[in-house]
Amino acid sequence: MATEYVKLVDVTKCDGCRACMVACKNWNDLPAEPEEFSGTVQSHKKTTADTWNVLQYIEHENGKGDLEYLFRHSSCFHCTDAACEKVCPENAISYSKFGTVVIDHDKCVGCGYCVQNCPFEVISLKEYKDKNGKEYKLSQKCTMCTDRLEEGLQPACVTTCHTNALEFGNKDEMLAKAEKRLSEIKGKFPNANIYNPKGVGGTHTIYVLTEKPSVYGLPENPKVPTSAVVWKDYAQPIGKMMIGATTMAVVGAFITNNIISKRIKGKEDGGEGHE
Amino acid sequence: MVEMNLNRRQFLKLSGAAAATLAVVELGFNEKKAYAASKELKIAKATVTPTICCFCGVGCGILVHTKNNTVVYTEGDPDNPINEGKLCSKGTTIRQLYTSEKRVLKPRYRAPGSDKWVEKDWDWMLDTIAKRAKETRDKSFVEKENGMIVNKTEAIASLGGAALDNEECYLLAKMMRGLGVTYLEHQARI
Repeated sequence: MATEYVKLVDVTKCDGCRACMVACKNWNDLPAEPEEFSGTVQSHKKTTADTWNVLQYIEHENGKGDLEYLFRHSSCFHCTDAACEKVCPENAISYSKFGTVVIDHDKCVGCGYCVQNCPFEVISLKEYKDKNGKEYKLSQKCTMCTDRLEEGLQPACVTTCHTNALEFGNKDEMLAKAEKRLSEIKGKFPNANIYNPKGVGGTHTIYVLTEKPSVYGLPENPKVPTSAVVWKDYAQPIGKMMIGATTMAVVGAFITNNIISKRIKGKEDGGEGHE
Repeated sequence: MVEMNLNRRQFLKLSGAAAATLAVVELGFNEKKAYAASKELKIAKATVTPTICCFCGVGCGILVHTKNNTVVYTEGDPDNPINEGKLCSKGTTIRQLYTSEKRVLKPRYRAPGSDKWVEKDWDWMLDTIAKRAKETRDKSFVEKENGMIVNKTEAIASLGGAALDNEECYLLAKMMRGLGVTYLEHQARI
């Protein structure tokens, strides 16, 4: 594996400008999704198939009776053990050499298993129409701009962030940076923590949070569903083996039958051969 | 085990079929090549033009990537000392000044007292503006005020729009000062 990269989100530096949201739409050519005002400053409720990252404005009472906005750039976590990769029956989801989790749309059949099993609810299905008017679905989510990474560029959201709340780099470097930042802010934010959940093998989007993950609407201990592990690591390979064996038997029988019958036919014809 | 007693013709037929199948598989399903072709970076062959953000007084540098006569991407200019590659959410949308479906592409005219906008062609529009500007200026031009040379007209005002870039604003200001316009404003200062 080439160098693993990590996007480090330091929520203490974020000023909620939403440039990351726009930069994502700009790079990935995603259409605008106007939403009704829902009584909050947050623009979209959650990520969708056309909005791969959403800046959350969490209204939080800080214990002194004051209201605080907690900002969080929310998008795909690019888990090391990704539930979506595990459950995909078509093997359309894979890990890139950078550690990012990407969907191959040539293989995706739009079944939606990944949508249901993502512990962070960041994958969505989108409906498309082909040129004959037939409808089909594809799953969509943040790609961490893997196409840009391949050219040595950083993700679009990171390049635009003017407070450096989003940073991108070598995994070890980013982890060290997160630790350093945590020690700096511990005094001001006693509940501060680094969100890099072990239940999914760590992630490639890592957060420095000022409050407990649950305050930010994040699962405290996300896991790959056991059913997914059983399905992918046991049921599917056995099933494939059985299909393979059956196919081999059928094909083998067909070929041998063919050859034998031809040989018999040849003998009966009385020497079509030219030995 | 099956006895493989093939005569020469059967052997040739079988090996030919195998070779043909392999050839088709090789040609038709070269996944890596197909993947590489479909995944060319979208700014790979784009022309890059630096500009200055039109939206506020900060004046961030922006790189505009154009390809096939349209804007494919815009990003903060990393070499610009003002923003060092960064942009706000509004500056990041600058691509839509050109690509938005809501963009008005033809001049529109609302006659005095009318409540309707009518589409006009550029020739009519420019001629009419020139004619009326001259008429109003000639009527209202003040050369001297309290013994001082002022060369101004207070009957014309100019309001620059939010989507004018640095160079357009410069030209507009030059022209308006030349006419003697004193009420010269721009969105960014309001």
